[in-house]
Amino acid sequence: MENEKIIELKNIVFSYGNFKAIDNVTLDIGKGIYGLLGPNGAGKTTLMKVILGFLIPSSGGGTVLGYDISGSPLEVRKRIGYMPESDCLIPGMDAVGLTAYLGELSGMPRQEAIKRAHEVLYYVGLDESRYRKVETYSTGMKQRMKLAAALVHDPELLFLDEPTSGMDPQGRKEMLELINDIAAKGTMNIILSSHILADVEASCKHVLIMNKGKIISEQDIATALNMGALNIIELKLKGDAAAFKEKMAAYKMEQDDKGVYRIHLPADFPLQSLFKTAYDSKVQIRHFRKSKVTLEDAFVTAIGKGDANAH
Amino acid sequence: MPIREKGYYNWEGQLKTSPVKWLPIFVNGIKSVYKKKFSKLLFATSAFPFLIFLIAVYVATKPELKMMTRLVKEIQNDALLFNTYYTNGFLIFMMVIMGLFAGAELISNDLKYKSFTFYLSRPLSRLDYLKGKFSIVLFYLLAFTLVPGLLLILAKIIFSGEFSVSLNILLAAIIFPIVISLFLGSLSIMLSSLSSNSRFAMVMIFVVYVMSNAIAQMFHGIFKNTSFLFLSFDSNIRNFGKFIFGTQGEFYTHGFVSGCILVGLTILFFVIIMMRIKRVEV
Repeated sequence: MENEKIIELKNIVFSYGNFKAIDNVTLDIGKGIYGLLGPNGAGKTTLMKVILGFLIPSSGGGTVLGYDISGSPLEVRKRIGYMPESDCLIPGMDAVGLTAYLGELSGMPRQEAIKRAHEVLYYVGLDESRYRKVETYSTGMKQRMKLAAALVHDPELLFLDEPTSGMDPQGRKEMLELINDIAAKGTMNIILSSHILADVEASCKHVLIMNKGKIISEQDIATALNMGALNIIELKLKGDAAAFKEKMAAYKMEQDDKGVYRIHLPADFPLQSLFKTAYDSKVQIRHFRKSKVTLEDAFVTAIGKGDANAH
Repeated sequence: MPIREKGYYNWEGQLKTSPVKWLPIFVNGIKSVYKKKFSKLLFATSAFPFLIFLIAVYVATKPELKMMTRLVKEIQNDALLFNTYYTNGFLIFMMVIMGLFAGAELISNDLKYKSFTFYLSRPLSRLDYLKGKFSIVLFYLLAFTLVPGLLLILAKIIFSGEFSVSLNILLAAIIFPIVISLFLGSLSIMLSSLSSNSRFAMVMIFVVYVMSNAIAQMFHGIFKNTSFLFLSFDSNIRNFGKFIFGTQGEFYTHGFVSGCILVGLTILFFVIIMMRIKRVEV
């Protein structure tokens, strides 16, 4: 049932005044864990809010888990767990009280909500501090607390908005482990919105890339990383590279701080001709390696294509 | 911090769709207000008029005791008893304090800490949220007006040994505290929704109440025209009390107008609250 559609959106438009935050987005999301990528201000959070029914689109519509986002927002929210990016914990409550309270608001019986609150707090690693007031938590603990709150009613669909924001490397690793663990269970669908590419790469099977309110790319992570149409070569050159760079100007080339060039070439580009170009340019190739395509490459390429199409 | 080794597991229960989705907000809010510093002192002080009147009701049935003669004279019939009880200055003042104590932080804190997102990411509408929050302040206002009023009726029946309260007075004793609690509760919640600073809300509840009275008294003093007293929340409450309990007074003929002013203001406050809540971004 991998093809079953969890979210179907059609021609969604949402504007803040004159600014189109979501621009005619049509989208089908199936089961599994999806990454929603995009630079800051791309419209990721706005799209999530539209799906959750917080914001009413000016045109277009869609369904989430079979419920209309505009017509039945409460039915949608009953089945969704939302971990917001912003720090929005209710002060004056301890973690157990708050998590149980939110479970009750989702429709859980009180005793069940309390029991489940203990369980999810234990699961996210807050068991020892579950009776502490949430306002005394560190940023990492608050992120875990928000995840526990999103999980308490065992939703069918989990929205995670920048879940590793503000976390230290260890905390970030643990948060991603939790997300992967939830996804591995296979009973919950996840949409992870982030501008941290490594997070999405580490957790997601599918990636949606947003820019300027539009979905500009929608593919499997594996496909994105294979990127059949792209061959990235790492080179180190000796000699004056100016002529070489001029001859290769048609291709994207970047240089890191160690002097290694990364050249983005089409898959059918004959690699021998690189050596010929180097010979003609009177430079020596001292290092030659096919580079691993990262999600960042896919992201940059998608953003670049999106911008080119816009112009 | 360790992560559960057992891994994630699902909850086996079934989510309910309750007709009172806001009930957890109400229950949680009641507990939060009760746990606040000085809450017991405030509750005890607010219950003080009830205790005095309870004694007076008892004494009224025992003329031989010759105590509290002035108060006993003032509550010689049911209409006077309830009018005097509900509109006594101390109780009204305590209700204003109760409104700011229970209501000032209810929405302003959610605005300050952006907690709306947490509420609205649950199957709750903005109206459900408002119902939950409003029910908290209404509960505390009614607990110190309507409940003691009903207990006074009960006490009167027990002490006198007969059910002598007329239906009109009984209805009035129920309707009046409800109207006043709705008015003061909506005023508190409205001011709470206007700012993310709960202290501002607290001060404003008090200032608005006191200032309405001060301005009304000032104009009344200058122009010697009782119509200016309609500007005073306090005068309107007293005037409406005289009207609904049918007791004579300075304003008696205009008591209905005072009632309309209170109801109209309550509706206006609710409209403002809804506008504010609808505009909150999540």
